[in-house]
Amino acid sequence: MPTAPSLLLDPELTRFLTGGLSINAGSASAAGVPSLCRAFGCRVAPDAGRLKLFFAAPQAVDLVRDATRSGALAVVFSEPPTHRTIQIKGEDARLEALTDGDLACVTAYRAAFAQCLVFLGFTEGMVRTLLDCPDEALVGLSFTPSALFNSTPGAQAGTPLTSAPPPPRAPGGP
Amino acid sequence: MIPVRALRDCLDGVIPGVVSTCAADGTPNVAYMSQGQYLDDGHLALSYQFFNRTHQNLLANPRVTLGLIHPKTAQQYRLHLVYERTETRGPVFESMKAKLAGIASHTGMSGVFRLLGSDIYRIERVEVVPGSTLPAPSPLVDPLLALRTCMARLPTSPDAESLLDALLDGLQTHFAIEHALVMMLDPRRDRLYTVASRGYATSGVGSEIHVGEGVIGVAARERTPIRISHVTSEYAYGLAMREGAERQGMGDLLETEIPFPGLVSPGSQLAVPIPGAHEPLGVLFVESPTEMRFTHAEEDALVALATQVGGLFRLFLAELELGDEAQPGVAREPRPQGPPLRVRHYAANDSVFLGDDYLIKGVAGNILWTLLQDHQALGRTHFSNRELRADPRVRLPDQSDNLEARLVLLHRRLAEREACVRLEKTGRGRFRLLVARPLELEDMDTGA
Repeated sequence: MPTAPSLLLDPELTRFLTGGLSINAGSASAAGVPSLCRAFGCRVAPDAGRLKLFFAAPQAVDLVRDATRSGALAVVFSEPPTHRTIQIKGEDARLEALTDGDLACVTAYRAAFAQCLVFLGFTEGMVRTLLDCPDEALVGLSFTPSALFNSTPGAQAGTPLTSAPPPPRAPGGP
Repeated sequence: MIPVRALRDCLDGVIPGVVSTCAADGTPNVAYMSQGQYLDDGHLALSYQFFNRTHQNLLANPRVTLGLIHPKTAQQYRLHLVYERTETRGPVFESMKAKLAGIASHTGMSGVFRLLGSDIYRIERVEVVPGSTLPAPSPLVDPLLALRTCMARLPTSPDAESLLDALLDGLQTHFAIEHALVMMLDPRRDRLYTVASRGYATSGVGSEIHVGEGVIGVAARERTPIRISHVTSEYAYGLAMREGAERQGMGDLLETEIPFPGLVSPGSQLAVPIPGAHEPLGVLFVESPTEMRFTHAEEDALVALATQVGGLFRLFLAELELGDEAQPGVAREPRPQGPPLRVRHYAANDSVFLGDDYLIKGVAGNILWTLLQDHQALGRTHFSNRELRADPRVRLPDQSDNLEARLVLLHRRLAEREACVRLEKTGRGRFRLLVARPLELEDMDTGA
């Protein structure tokens, strides 16, 4: 089993990543065409040290294709009221079936993100529409964080927060 | 394909766009963009503020995928772009810089948001992302119809003052814009002064701001419209000016003697320069307590209106050059009776006080002082704009100065103060001075 890069995911950061943030993930095709998709929540598996993100499958066709081909994934988490932004990159992304608690995680995420944006003046209907997706159309992508960056707007944006140990390749991964 | 109107709505900065790029080694990067600008059907510009990973990536691989969300319908779009170049000067850069300055000053990011360049991209392909959407709300007004109706009345205005009234009435009636004002540029002092307003508790006629200050001042300096959809109240003009006045000494108290009339808690603001031959003649400013009140289409309409107003103003000025001389042989009017009022003029800033009440300063103050001197010494009551333009005592900054706007300002200030001195129009480019009380003129610091 790979060792969990616990340095990267301390409890405060874990709480941050699983809150009501704006989450967007990117990858790229072999030809270097970037793909992009909005995620509907993030779950942290502390034992495996992996992050699991949820997407609406019809929106994530290119992203899933690119990320599962190369394993490369970049995910930006941003808290709208504070602009605090973290980017996490991985090299071992893989498609993962939804398991117990995943749907509850997406439901909680929708509520938290809606609450955050309603506070900023958006309507709840607007946020719910943005995050609308039938349960059966949700897909999960998981990856081990290999690099972590402070992406909060400003000159310091892009600063590595810490360097991770060499990314543990998931043995027997798809 | 994404309709142009939807693309412009998405780029308005209400919901930040997301930019996905890819390094030469295939490592992806995702970042938020602060500001995007529609250029034409095939191009858009994104703000370049820091030399970050996004910028490093696109120098190696020019392909970018931009994620946008429509702020009203929640429809998501993905634009597949190819980076072409970065502009660090010219109209696109200046326009984005001004808008970013407005955004920054209104989000507390003034020290953080600085435009290094405008990255110009070619739009290769647009993807409509599948997902739920809300119905697009039907707009409150049809801006094109409102523009047509509003424009129809402007050229029938006989003078600058009725032109400004027609403009502000039209905005209210046809665009449902309840809070609006027009500021004119005083190029010599790098200030803008209010000549007309609608929808405020006090008119604010005569109030001033510096060129470069806030959305109005930046719009004037950069000669570009600035539209802000979310305004934080801490940066509202009224408050900022009041606090500024408290920080400054007595010498500047006159600056804020006439308070700027702006809303205390504006949600949306739009400032549109009124173009002149060289420098802008002034700025048309509208605001609303509602956020996201003004659309791109309304900005288009107000730019068209301001262009017409600028043209008509210049026409008035040109007509003055050919206009009538002062009418000789007008019968002298009887001198007013009653207790005299002391009128003081301070040469240091050309301010004029009626009794103890501050009235006006600057060129408009000089105009009034000149009229009162001639009234006192020669018993004159009839004057022409043309002679004032040539009168060295008025000290106009230059021949192209907007004398009309200064007379509008003076006329309105006298009327609002219910002063014993009034101006009354008697014809194109001519007016009459009405003095209801005997005056004692005192030049306070001549030669100081």
